[in-house]
Amino acid sequence: MELSLSAEQSAILGALERLAKPYANAPINSRGFTLVSGELDRALEDGGFLDMAFEPELGALTAALVVAQLARLPYAAEVAASSLLRPLLGADVKRPVCAVEAGAPARPVRFLAPGATVIVLHRDRVTSFTAAAGDVCNIETIFAYPMAILVTEADHAAGAVAHDVPAATLRARWQVALAAEIAGLLDSAIGCTVTYVSERKQFGRPLGSFQGMRHRLAEATVRAGGARWLALMAADSGDPGDAALAAHFAQDAATGIVYDLHQFFGAMGVTLEHPLHLWTYRLKALLSELGGRSAQAADAADLIWGVGR
Amino acid sequence: MKFEWAPQHQAFREKIRAFLAENLPADWEHRAHHGPGSREQTEFSRQFCGKLAEAGLLIPHWPIAWGGRGMDAWCQIILAEEMWQAGEPRGAQYMNVNWIGPTLMRYGSATQQARYLPRIARGDAIWCQGFSEPDAGSDLAALRTRATRDGDIYRIEGQKIWTSYAGLAETCFLLARTGTDRKRGISIFLVPMDSAGIEVRSIPSLIGEGDIHEVFFDGTEVQGEALLGEEGGAWDIIGFSLNNERLGIPRYALARRALGRAVTILQSRGAFIGEAVRVQASRAASLCEAARLGSYDIVDQRVRGVAGTGGASAVRVATVMAERAVGEFVVEFLPDSLCEAEPLLKAHHQRAIVAGIASGAAEIQLNLVATELLGLPREPR
Repeated sequence: MELSLSAEQSAILGALERLAKPYANAPINSRGFTLVSGELDRALEDGGFLDMAFEPELGALTAALVVAQLARLPYAAEVAASSLLRPLLGADVKRPVCAVEAGAPARPVRFLAPGATVIVLHRDRVTSFTAAAGDVCNIETIFAYPMAILVTEADHAAGAVAHDVPAATLRARWQVALAAEIAGLLDSAIGCTVTYVSERKQFGRPLGSFQGMRHRLAEATVRAGGARWLALMAADSGDPGDAALAAHFAQDAATGIVYDLHQFFGAMGVTLEHPLHLWTYRLKALLSELGGRSAQAADAADLIWGVGR
Repeated sequence: MKFEWAPQHQAFREKIRAFLAENLPADWEHRAHHGPGSREQTEFSRQFCGKLAEAGLLIPHWPIAWGGRGMDAWCQIILAEEMWQAGEPRGAQYMNVNWIGPTLMRYGSATQQARYLPRIARGDAIWCQGFSEPDAGSDLAALRTRATRDGDIYRIEGQKIWTSYAGLAETCFLLARTGTDRKRGISIFLVPMDSAGIEVRSIPSLIGEGDIHEVFFDGTEVQGEALLGEEGGAWDIIGFSLNNERLGIPRYALARRALGRAVTILQSRGAFIGEAVRVQASRAASLCEAARLGSYDIVDQRVRGVAGTGGASAVRVATVMAERAVGEFVVEFLPDSLCEAEPLLKAHHQRAIVAGIASGAAEIQLNLVATELLGLPREPR
């Protein structure tokens, strides 16, 4: 048990912080639902920051650390699937990468665009295909990711290839990716709320000095800390039960916290003038992935205590 | 960063498990459900801790100079987990080895050390902690029990309340007021509980037998040498003591064991089916895991000598969430287990409510997290 970063992990995250510094804040005039940067994406790819899990000595744990750190940025970048799912399929898989569950209800897919690699998680196998223009229907969403609907039935996509990775392994890795991303998003969302309520005064004192708010923010940070540790442990252990618990915990934590944070911002929390939504509405998009918190919990129960539904 | 146990830590855990398997009686769960403060468990703890001491497992984390083995904080938490999830066979003595001993090592006089430490190290000492008073619970610095110097002695007047283990303790680690300053006017006395003028009354409770008490001091006289450290120096000393006890009891370990037991019982009845029960079981398991990993984060910081403030309070909050979730799971899905037939679940359910109360209310911990971890502005007083 050693919970501090290794020298190599510190160096990687330090370099990542320097690279991401220009993107640490939303532009002052930003008023959109989503913030993306092609330059950031290229810099991450060129710098090899999305390839950590290809290196056995760095592994999924370092990749999860990268995912969590980049999720703290107000910019939505295609990091989690590239960092944690792509290495299971092979280095020749082209970015951007997005993932869908076969047979699941239709939902907007993060980073789906013509040319993207779509990884399809079936019940018993994993396939992928390159999305053609006709597979994709662009949509406007309030979620802070670029999203589109996959109009082709995932089972029948042209040129789909099968991968030699068990569906359970991919699902577990997806759960880790989800948990790590949620942990990073929560961290920033709580952080910017703390800043706001420390400055905003009502009744002659900062809002954040009222115990009603202090306690709820303290609870939120305890849950966010738990989400981070569960995600990192699951990344390290590779155990599917750990992964399901981590995803459940993260989705459960985020469910309660997102509304609270907007609540603490008062009317400012319903505007696009503050970037809070760039983290919280990404969180909202993640709450339903892989069936949501109850599905992860049921999955965890199967894995920990045996199937018995 | 790695989450696997080092071989020496894994071996240490296995050694404790083997010791427990050999030394806990077959009916231990039935005995343990009385609680660490009960007469039965206290008596058991004297012989059990003696054996632990002989096996080098009572104070392995103490410095070698004091009879310990100088093992690291990982060993301390492994020991605490295994003991607590086994129903704390050390009884009240866990407190001695966790923080009373280390506090005496640091602040005690040579006489105090010679008098108390060997007995703690032998596993034959029961202490109680005289902190809370009727008007000084969370606001500890409001305490009013007074120790007045009279020549070579101090005379103590006042009342303590909710004092764990006081009924059978030989010594009280007592906070008393020697001056008027809120914090700098408090001193610590090591008070023999057989001194004249001490009356202990047991308070009937929901959490087990002999656990909480009122203690009255009516002109109790102690020698000047009972003073620990400087007069008025209590606040710094208890800061050190609490730092040693900051991780508190690894309640998540017993909570997780109780959850596992509950699921096993449900499975044996064919009742661990359907999404509702399975979702809630996983939810509780995830909260136990969060408390466990949060605790390990603090241990890791301690081992590296970088432990900050606030983190341990966050762990206390996480532990309360875990205890609650497991308690609620059992109450919802296995209510009949809360009677004699399932002593482990009964004992867990009975004592889980203490998680957010003992050694600093959860609300105080939330305040500490808000101020020290998040940097939120303090509430005006």
